[in-house]
Amino acid sequence: MFRQFLILISCLVMLTSPAWAETSPREVVEQFQEALLTSMRQGDKLSFQARYDQLRSAVSESHDLAKIARIVVGRTWQELSPEQQQQLVETFSRLSIASYANNFKSYSGESFAFKRQETTPRGGVVIHTQLQIPNDDTVNFDYMLKETGGRWQIINIIANGVSDLALKRSEYTAILNRDDFATLIAKMQEKIALYSQE
Amino acid sequence: MPRTYLPILLLTVLSGCATTQNPDDPYEDFNRAMYDFNQGVDDYVAEPVTSAYQWVTPDFMQTGVSNFFNNLKGLNTVVNSVLQGKWQNSASATGRLAVNSVIGLGGLFDVATPMGLEVDEEDFDQTLGVWGIDTGDYLVLPLFGPTTTRGIPGTVFDTAMNPATYIGVIPLQVMQVIDARHQADGALNFVNEAALDPYIFTREAYLQWRDNLVRDGQAPPAEHTLDLYDEALFEEDFQD
Repeated sequence: MFRQFLILISCLVMLTSPAWAETSPREVVEQFQEALLTSMRQGDKLSFQARYDQLRSAVSESHDLAKIARIVVGRTWQELSPEQQQQLVETFSRLSIASYANNFKSYSGESFAFKRQETTPRGGVVIHTQLQIPNDDTVNFDYMLKETGGRWQIINIIANGVSDLALKRSEYTAILNRDDFATLIAKMQEKIALYSQE
Repeated sequence: MPRTYLPILLLTVLSGCATTQNPDDPYEDFNRAMYDFNQGVDDYVAEPVTSAYQWVTPDFMQTGVSNFFNNLKGLNTVVNSVLQGKWQNSASATGRLAVNSVIGLGGLFDVATPMGLEVDEEDFDQTLGVWGIDTGDYLVLPLFGPTTTRGIPGTVFDTAMNPATYIGVIPLQVMQVIDARHQADGALNFVNEAALDPYIFTREAYLQWRDNLVRDGQAPPAEHTLDLYDEALFEEDFQD
């Protein structure tokens, strides 16, 4: 019941948020990174659920989770029923937010720096950034964004040359080929449960 | 590990494998078996030993040990930078090796990094890649872990270029293995936590990571990303 209330509230908040059309790809990325840093700074004071709630809108507004979920299952998408497609998008969204809430919970002076922006041949934009970690090697984070309905959203993150989308796509399609849709969803839910244990 | 028998073992096992869907991983059945074997060794030997090492050794000593072994790899970077025609990187790597070996007390302290002497690590597998040799097939070797058919001569060369190989002190070799496991600890934990299928996660991340090293992170990620789409999805994704 409380959960439904939270979802309702976040929907209302989304309706009243400023026009996204005005947000540039670089701003989308920087606002998202700022939300991650905030979660990291408060990490030890907040519970998993509190971090999850805090990151929910930041992740789902900056990422086109529906499109990402569709890409990672490859051709199987067309074979799924509308209910299964919806279940996949919902589970995938929860898993994405949960993994951020689980991984960005401690802070030791990290910061993101914008490097450059490039436009892809098909009208996408790649924002190149660097995660700077005190006393450690920097990590390159490249965000690939596409514009849908006048709004720029992240569809892929490439960390030190490793594409998150490619990685997930290989995993998800392999599970779908070897097992089936129900197994995939079960494995995703298992991860969400694992992340939510402190 | 009796390395001499390894090629024979490999040939015998590989020839019996059925081909699978991923073109980069024709020996998936064998690789999965080796992955499970390595995982078992890790669960029962390497991980407990590493945990014990991390528990009894102060942090600064662990860092010193890692610095020491990383410094020994510096010679390999010097040589491979030359082989790839990266003179600047080779010069920096030489400076780094000298500074850390002398001022850093044989490599125990990494004094070069704060001085701004940072280099791209180069190894022979990357050199072969720069020379235009294809990555080859993905392989998981017992105890060694992920590699490719190009990575095998790469590893042989790198091992020959590492001074630790020639120091006939067994504790040093053991320490090197423990340190390698210690340095990989965070990544291994992450894989186990994040992956829906740890085997595939490791394979894809390894192949992409090596590929990126060969290109020194220079390839346009956009092109790279676009390859991911099936033709049909690709059109659909970019028409709307």
